[in-house]
Amino acid sequence: MKRKKDSFGLRLARRLFLGTKILFKLALLLPIPIFMVAFSYKVDRSGLFQGDLAPRQVVDLLLEGKDVTNFEQMDERQIVRLYTQNLDPDNVPIAMGVGSSRVLQVTREVADTDSFFNLGVTGADVRDVMTSYYLCVKEGKIPQVLIWSVDPWVLYGSEAALDSRADSELYNEFLQQVLGIDTGYEEPDQVELWKALADPAYFQGNMEYYFRNRQGALTDDSGQLIPFTEVQGDPYQQSATIKRSDGSVLYDVAFRSHTSDQILSDAIAQSETFNSLHMEGFTELGETECRAFDAFIRYAETQGTRVILLLTPFHPFLYDTLLSRAENYSGFFQVENWIRQYAEDTGTPLYGSYDPLILDGIKESDFYDGVHCTSEALEKFFPGIWQALEEAYKGITPHVLSLKNRTTAAERISW
Amino acid sequence: MDFNTLIFLGFFAGTAVVYYALPKVLKPLFLLSASYCFYLYKPENARLVTLLISATVITWCSGLAIAASRKLWVRRLFLCIAALTCGGILFFYKYFNFFNSVLWGERATLLDLSAPLGLSYFTFQSLSYTLDIYQKKLRPEKNFLYYALFVSFFPCIFTGPIERAGHLLPQFHRPRRFSYQGVSGGAFRMLWGYVKKMVIADNLDVFISAVYGSANQMDGPMLAAASLLFSLRLYMDFSGACDIAIGSARVLGYDLLENFNAPFAATTFADLWRRWHMSLTGWFRDYIYFPLGGSRCAPTRHYANLLLVFVVSGLWHGAAWGYLLWGLSCGLVQLIGRFTLPARQRIARHNLLYRSSLFQLWWQRSIVYILFSLCFIFFACALYGADTAVVYGGLLTGWADFFREPSLFAGTAAGLGLGGVTGLILLLLTPIILTVEGQGRVSDWIRRQNWALRWTLYYGLAAALLFFGAFGQSAFIYQQY
Repeated sequence: MKRKKDSFGLRLARRLFLGTKILFKLALLLPIPIFMVAFSYKVDRSGLFQGDLAPRQVVDLLLEGKDVTNFEQMDERQIVRLYTQNLDPDNVPIAMGVGSSRVLQVTREVADTDSFFNLGVTGADVRDVMTSYYLCVKEGKIPQVLIWSVDPWVLYGSEAALDSRADSELYNEFLQQVLGIDTGYEEPDQVELWKALADPAYFQGNMEYYFRNRQGALTDDSGQLIPFTEVQGDPYQQSATIKRSDGSVLYDVAFRSHTSDQILSDAIAQSETFNSLHMEGFTELGETECRAFDAFIRYAETQGTRVILLLTPFHPFLYDTLLSRAENYSGFFQVENWIRQYAEDTGTPLYGSYDPLILDGIKESDFYDGVHCTSEALEKFFPGIWQALEEAYKGITPHVLSLKNRTTAAERISW
Repeated sequence: MDFNTLIFLGFFAGTAVVYYALPKVLKPLFLLSASYCFYLYKPENARLVTLLISATVITWCSGLAIAASRKLWVRRLFLCIAALTCGGILFFYKYFNFFNSVLWGERATLLDLSAPLGLSYFTFQSLSYTLDIYQKKLRPEKNFLYYALFVSFFPCIFTGPIERAGHLLPQFHRPRRFSYQGVSGGAFRMLWGYVKKMVIADNLDVFISAVYGSANQMDGPMLAAASLLFSLRLYMDFSGACDIAIGSARVLGYDLLENFNAPFAATTFADLWRRWHMSLTGWFRDYIYFPLGGSRCAPTRHYANLLLVFVVSGLWHGAAWGYLLWGLSCGLVQLIGRFTLPARQRIARHNLLYRSSLFQLWWQRSIVYILFSLCFIFFACALYGADTAVVYGGLLTGWADFFREPSLFAGTAAGLGLGGVTGLILLLLTPIILTVEGQGRVSDWIRRQNWALRWTLYYGLAAALLFFGAFGQSAFIYQQY
């Protein structure tokens, strides 16, 4: 006997039931791949997603509000990258600092706000400055105020002004994606990277790494000890330089306790090697660099960030030595004037000077060496972000054009 | 495309989804395309795909011609054409250099030949089809599409089982509808196979390859351990591949021949061979052993037939003396077993220990396993490139030290990869796998279990695979034959 054919509704209901059943069973299996992917992403022993393990350790500690040991061994640029990546979007600091090691003495106290982080990196060139801020924008963690300690080589258009440690790929990305300047940058293939998350072999490696590091000291992928730990005891009594939780750097006790003779000795030595600070052959301001400077500040403003420019002074002896050979450093001496004019024209707040003599109260003892001044020195001419913003709002930013740094040998004082 | 890669899983999932979504008239064509895509994925196969196509076309035409003709000489002629095509391809790519060097020694001119993957499988399948038609056991397949699919069906083209036309071809004719139980059972069988291959076989391989890789520096206990474990590793590797093949075919709605039937539960050597690589032994039985007279002839002829089948079986695995000697040794052990059977039965009657059937069972299983492993030393040496004489000779050394200081052996073995995870796998996972397989087909067994145990097992196996599986480590051993 021929079987009666089921009605359309019954067949549909049966299929729907079967489909639901299959989806339910598949959903029951989902925790396994989800666990694998989440675990691989979290542990990430090769630093594919979370960055290398050592800088990640530093950033984790910084984000927990802890000071970290062994500043000298840190990959500062990676730390900036990971800091911006891992920063809680709801707790983005109001103010951030960018620049070279000369900005690293800008602390929360100097900035006059607890909501501050210093993104400065040693030897920073113009690319480091711009990419540090670009990373914040990219991650959607934009500060309201950017304190930019402008180093003179920022306006120098030469290979000598560039630091090999800077992330040129990221800079090219910034120029092309943000400023619209064609650099031939090509976006990296993210698919290959993300495939690692679905790779069980990577999961197993992470598992092995996780269990290895669960007990005892932290090691990196190759089993080397990660040397970064939380600072124990009084941070001002450390025998090695540390990175403070606000990103600034606190030099070791011995360095901070240098006598004036030792500081002068350092300044003398640095005045002889001043060109090595990205200044070799700096006689003219770079036209492109001046334009990029302007473009960057305008870009930051479009992102809702107010830029405060800071010129940190050089040691009096070093500055005078440069004056004595002013013809060799004509580019250097043009920088401050140009920036002052720029600040005046655009209403950008500007504090400080490269010339220590024209800043009230700056003494030789305000320096650690020829190029780095202390936090106390910064506080003498920088009133903090709140006052700086208020002054800018009222249009009463002082000393922009009234101050003029010395630029000729005739103006030098004898030592 | 290797079974143990993510690309295969992606390919297979995509194939299954599209397959069930297609109207039934398109299904065979789609499966054939998928099979050729699977085969052509490896560039070395793409170069030699004409061999697969030639074998398919010639054996299909021969089958039609044999069935159509009543004249014996015509039937024989086309059988010869089919046999020469399949045998010729197989011989040329697999054995030419070997026999050339055997005949001419160092004066032989060796050709740069790389055999396409699955050569031994698709030639045997297509040859069996023609032989079955010749023996009038099978009607020829009129539809070339179905026949081409039978020869190249992707789940079994690289590692078998060696299918029979009478078993698989009728399934292609019947429309395959989605069956939840079939798909879930097939998927479980695949998972089972992956665990056997990637968790057990590949982890054991670390130790075995370390020992065989420097066999001349190893003492007896280490060589014995590696040789005993090699049988287990080979079983897990090969049967794992077959589980994946059978499981994936099952997901698509097709049943493939079973290739293993709990071989280590065998209590005699002959029984073990009835349970091991059944599709190949069945092929030799039907197309070599029986035509030669099988056991229905004079005892001397019978023994010669038996020995010949084992030697051919050895050679099927590879053109090397090691494989040939392995086949010969298995044949000899089987013959010795037959010769000594009456005496052993007499002794067994007086063996007090045999009054415990449990003891007898495990004793016999152990002896069979040891004999099997001893024969497989030839095979392992051929596979790992070790010197057979060194391994067999080395087996007898170092036992005094072993009994004096067993901890030293344990330490060395652990250092070579037999500690920690591998130990855990051997002690926990392997017994579970072997016990379940002793209960029958795993896909049937799992269906009989309650929900909680089933899902515990799903998660347990997936976790074992995820935590201990060796990903991207090695291809299946039988893929190279």
